[in-house]
Amino acid sequence: MTVVDEIAGVPAAAVAEPASTAEVADVVRGAAADELALVVRGAGTRQDWALPPQRLDLIVDLGGVCGLVEHAAGDLVAIVRAGTPLREVQEALRPAGQQLALDEPLPGATVGGTVAVNASGPRRMLYGTVRDLLIGVTVVRADGVVAKAGGKVVKNVAGYDLGKLVAGSYGTLGVITECAFRLHPLPAAARYVSAPAAGPDEAGRAVASVLAAQVVPSALEVDMAAGEGPLTVTALVEGVPAGVDRRAADLRKLLGEETEQAESPPPCWGTYPWAPGDVGIKLTCALSRVPYLLTAAGVTARLHDVPVRVRGSAGTGVLYAGLPGDTDPGVVAGVISDLRAATRAGAGHCVVLTAPPPVRTRVDVWGHVDGLDLMRRVKEQFDPAGTLAPGRFVGGI
Amino acid sequence: MSDERRDLIGDCVHCGFCLPTCPTYVLWGEEMDSPRGRIQLMLQQTEGEPLTPAMTGHFDACLGCMACVTACPSGVQYDKLITETRAMVEQVRPPAGRALRAAVFALFPYRRRLEAAKAPLVGYRWMGSPFRRNLPATVRTLLDLAPAPRRSVRLPAVVPALGRRRARVGMLTGCVQQAFFPGVNAATARVLAAEGCEVVIPPEQGCCGALSRHSGRTAEADKFSADLDRVFADVDALVVNAAGCGSSLKEHGELASRTRDLSEFLVELGPVAPRHPVPVTAAYHDACHLGHAQGVRAQPRALLRAVPGLDLREIPDAEICCGSAGIWNVLNPGPAAELGDRKARDVLSTGASLLVTANPGCLMQIAAAVRRAGASIRLAHTAEVLDASIRGVRP
Amino acid sequence: MSIGALATAMHSRLAEDQIITDRARLRTYECDGLAHYRVVPGIVLLPRTAEECAAVVRACVAHGVPFVARGSGTGLSGGALPHADGALIVTSQLRAIREVAPQDERAVLEPGVINLQVSKAAAPHGYYYAPDPSSQQICSIGGNVAENSGGAHCLKYGFTANHVTGVQIVTPDGELVRLGGRAPDAPGYDLLGAFVGSEGTLGIATEVTVRLVRLPETVRTLLAAFTGTDAAGAATSAIIAAGVVPAAVEMMDALAIEAAEAAVHCGYPAGAGAVLIVELDGPAAEVEAQFAAVEEFCRAHGAFEIRIAADDAERALFWKGRKSAFAAVGRISPDYIVQDGVIPRTALPQVLTRIGELAREHGVRVANVFHAGDGNLHPLVLFDEAVAGQAERAETVSGAILDICVEHGGSITGEHGVGVDKAKHMPRMYTEADLDTMQLLRCAFDPRGLANPGKVFPTPRLCGEVPGRRKGPNPWHDAGVEVF
Repeated sequence: MTVVDEIAGVPAAAVAEPASTAEVADVVRGAAADELALVVRGAGTRQDWALPPQRLDLIVDLGGVCGLVEHAAGDLVAIVRAGTPLREVQEALRPAGQQLALDEPLPGATVGGTVAVNASGPRRMLYGTVRDLLIGVTVVRADGVVAKAGGKVVKNVAGYDLGKLVAGSYGTLGVITECAFRLHPLPAAARYVSAPAAGPDEAGRAVASVLAAQVVPSALEVDMAAGEGPLTVTALVEGVPAGVDRRAADLRKLLGEETEQAESPPPCWGTYPWAPGDVGIKLTCALSRVPYLLTAAGVTARLHDVPVRVRGSAGTGVLYAGLPGDTDPGVVAGVISDLRAATRAGAGHCVVLTAPPPVRTRVDVWGHVDGLDLMRRVKEQFDPAGTLAPGRFVGGI
Repeated sequence: MSDERRDLIGDCVHCGFCLPTCPTYVLWGEEMDSPRGRIQLMLQQTEGEPLTPAMTGHFDACLGCMACVTACPSGVQYDKLITETRAMVEQVRPPAGRALRAAVFALFPYRRRLEAAKAPLVGYRWMGSPFRRNLPATVRTLLDLAPAPRRSVRLPAVVPALGRRRARVGMLTGCVQQAFFPGVNAATARVLAAEGCEVVIPPEQGCCGALSRHSGRTAEADKFSADLDRVFADVDALVVNAAGCGSSLKEHGELASRTRDLSEFLVELGPVAPRHPVPVTAAYHDACHLGHAQGVRAQPRALLRAVPGLDLREIPDAEICCGSAGIWNVLNPGPAAELGDRKARDVLSTGASLLVTANPGCLMQIAAAVRRAGASIRLAHTAEVLDASIRGVRP
Repeated sequence: MSIGALATAMHSRLAEDQIITDRARLRTYECDGLAHYRVVPGIVLLPRTAEECAAVVRACVAHGVPFVARGSGTGLSGGALPHADGALIVTSQLRAIREVAPQDERAVLEPGVINLQVSKAAAPHGYYYAPDPSSQQICSIGGNVAENSGGAHCLKYGFTANHVTGVQIVTPDGELVRLGGRAPDAPGYDLLGAFVGSEGTLGIATEVTVRLVRLPETVRTLLAAFTGTDAAGAATSAIIAAGVVPAAVEMMDALAIEAAEAAVHCGYPAGAGAVLIVELDGPAAEVEAQFAAVEEFCRAHGAFEIRIAADDAERALFWKGRKSAFAAVGRISPDYIVQDGVIPRTALPQVLTRIGELAREHGVRVANVFHAGDGNLHPLVLFDEAVAGQAERAETVSGAILDICVEHGGSITGEHGVGVDKAKHMPRMYTEADLDTMQLLRCAFDPRGLANPGKVFPTPRLCGEVPGRRKGPNPWHDAGVEVF
């Protein structure tokens, strides 16, 4: 076969570039006829995430399925084609004073890709994640049938919410071609209030004090430099100018004299604490266990003598950790083992989002998954031949 | 089956808003022991289904607290429905089931018999718990509920108004009230007199008929209320200090339009007697037959708040019955104790040192539950608090 | 399938009073909040633990008996309508609040816990549970999960699906499985998200972990009276367009106001053709600034009277009229249909005009109550069954209203669910392929089709071969991958 492109190091024989939902359906139907394995690509920002496909024949590039279908400003709703870069969506909405309240941790990401991996950033604390904002979805099934679920109204309980099912499914259930989103008004003012913390416990106390107060932050982030270094706690408040002033002042009282205020985000805000080629890990836990998780990350870094940088939403219990890509796979496995024990104790999970191939083959990237049996049955129903991104997802799905 | 009854049943839209206020639903979480379920059972009966023991069991389990009537947005007259149903149930009740009810009805509505029954209570209070355990549950409940016997207070037939006479009112002394809480009646008479009322207290007055009516013994109830109509023929208002009696009198007989709860009457009349401080933290408990049946909730609170130094607290889940419900606690000792325990817990959670309510049944029920919880709280009728405030003594 | 055999089997697992088989008692369960559908269940079972619930489902599977779950029985789409040859599994005795964990902003609940009780339990800690269906004083959390219940305050805070972070369910196979949990973003498919709102067709929730929200610093509520719904709608549009996200914007028309007045004496301004209840909550400084703007928008669009709730008691009175409106309509009409449809909010004026025309054409009255902020309409079609032909005409109008919603790109249900009532309307909103795709999920969970059959979908999908238990080893484990 002629290699024309690849996904996570796995070569593909062909790349299809459909320009509409109907064309995607044609491509997928054709592939299904020959049981060709396919993987969807948007901007390609996360092709090294999850596991490489077990087999791959065709890359379906959705770059051509792009553009805003509809922006109902009065209804705070927009319908967007999957291949549209998130940034373009925001630019299109801005003149109406509106936004799709999703952060963009990896610049250039498309709407479809963001939905497929359920990516989120700091502002998930106030606005929620993809699953909370996606109100309708068009999917091309593994057999090429086009199906819609949801609609273009915010409130709708007619039928199953398949949007939630495909959000975070890594392209294993269908090809997302169109998404309807609930929008939010752009805030008139925003303020980032940051304060240093000497250690995880102090950061934890700062976070708890903000949660218990009445400042209603849009984001509450913690950033721990590698090697249990200094921590920074940053809260974002958004609203009317007078309200933001008051709340920023309240935050100053809570976080102490050393706080810094800014109208634009501090460096590294909303980005992952790793570079391309590094090991990227997602850590979740019950809210109150965030300090514990930070401590555990610091301890394991010291124990294995590797720099572990942790950053994320202390206000929701979703953190990210990064390790240098050249860390010995055995050491990475040890770190993952420690972090997994810590997240388990905090009622959460530890998932390796991305890692160099030697690491990926060494560790169980997904970890324990509740309801895996049901998930396999879902996959069997949606993709009985196993042609959609085979092997990329949990439990070898 | 009357069309009217079918219409009353048809008013229920099955929304379920009554469920959380129904004591038996709160206890058991079963549809057939909720107002909505009982109405469904009534519907079956209008459709010709026989009143089986299973069905009557669910009707008997209803406390008649009428919390559902308050909660119902559709205005279903459950009070009317259950009263009619109880009358039907009484007609089909097997003889065995009647014995205890007959015994209760031979005692409660008759003050002299109640007075006589107080004597053994003294002995009971001295019994050790092993002896108590040997008594049947119902009898034990009855005895546990009764407050320490107090000496009867004989009230004069007429108490003159203090100062200018503003009204001439009759006062219902009630069966349980007079037998077990004679102090409440004395306090009521003093408060009324202090507020300028001439208080008529005919010694020949009998029972209001509420217990009989709420238990489906309609003929007996009618006779009682007719007797009262005669005795109180010439007063401006009949003032009642027991919630159950008041709600029944307001629904039946010639006195209906002139009957007033004490608190209702005092708020309408307006105060003239000066109040003295009563420094106490008090919780006010809505007796079902005052709050739900008569809609009298604001007045007692207003009167209590007007007492200088009194800190009034609200009880959580106030709409749920304490489990007294006339003679329900005597007939259903287990569940009644459970309801009493819930209420005691809620009352104690307010941190109040005094519990005020306007019904002798509630006072006895909650007092027993507070004792079971190993706690203590002082109890008073609204009249006693007002009396203490007017006289400048501690309640 | 045999109810008798199931009953016998259940006697060895449950106590006597957890099994109902006599007809009089069974009939008290013959309908939920949508009383014009009535089916007497074959048997009613009242489990008191998750394990008992799983045992009940397993017994149903063993005897091939379909089962329907029911919480408080307040649903308005007949979602808990029993199956005549099936078991009704009632969760009203599974009602413990297992844990209130304000430090994690979570509460762990049994499914029979009443919605409002959660907020009551969380209040001492300064938290509450945000989704507030009008029936919140009685509806159960399990039912909320099944229906993805909304409520007035969902405009700002979202629906049940946005507030449930974990469930333990009994699958239609009778297995206890956990989906999600206390932490966000559990790995794998978001089966939790798919389960919420699946109307009892994917299993029964036996434990629910919900998000608790900090009680707002300030709540300001105003009641604005307008001459008609158009003006009230225009005021709503202006508020939203200005970038204000109120906690709630509710509208009632003249007929709905009349009903509420009759029922709860809420004292709304006399002569109002429409009232708007607008509530803002959040940090005091934000609320104050935006509240002034909201008041101004109402005046600018013709509000002839604006009342601002001075205290919690007055605020409660504003809401009392709104929250009891459905049942209150019983005071002004012997019979009525509560409809639930959604339109893009900006289509409100046209849609209301069309509903008015429809009502006149068919000689019935329609009272309108709605969540104006998100376009969720609740037209109440009034009729008198005693008058020949009225019930049919009301049914026609009610159905036509849904057509109007779909024409405008809306939904046939915003919060009451599809249930048995609207299954027939699903093809108006979705293609055969759409519905077929949804049923793939159902086949994955319930290949035998025993969980709440006949609901949601107009026609069941054949699931093909019923899969056995396939807990295959993780291929990565075989490949020598280190597993932790």
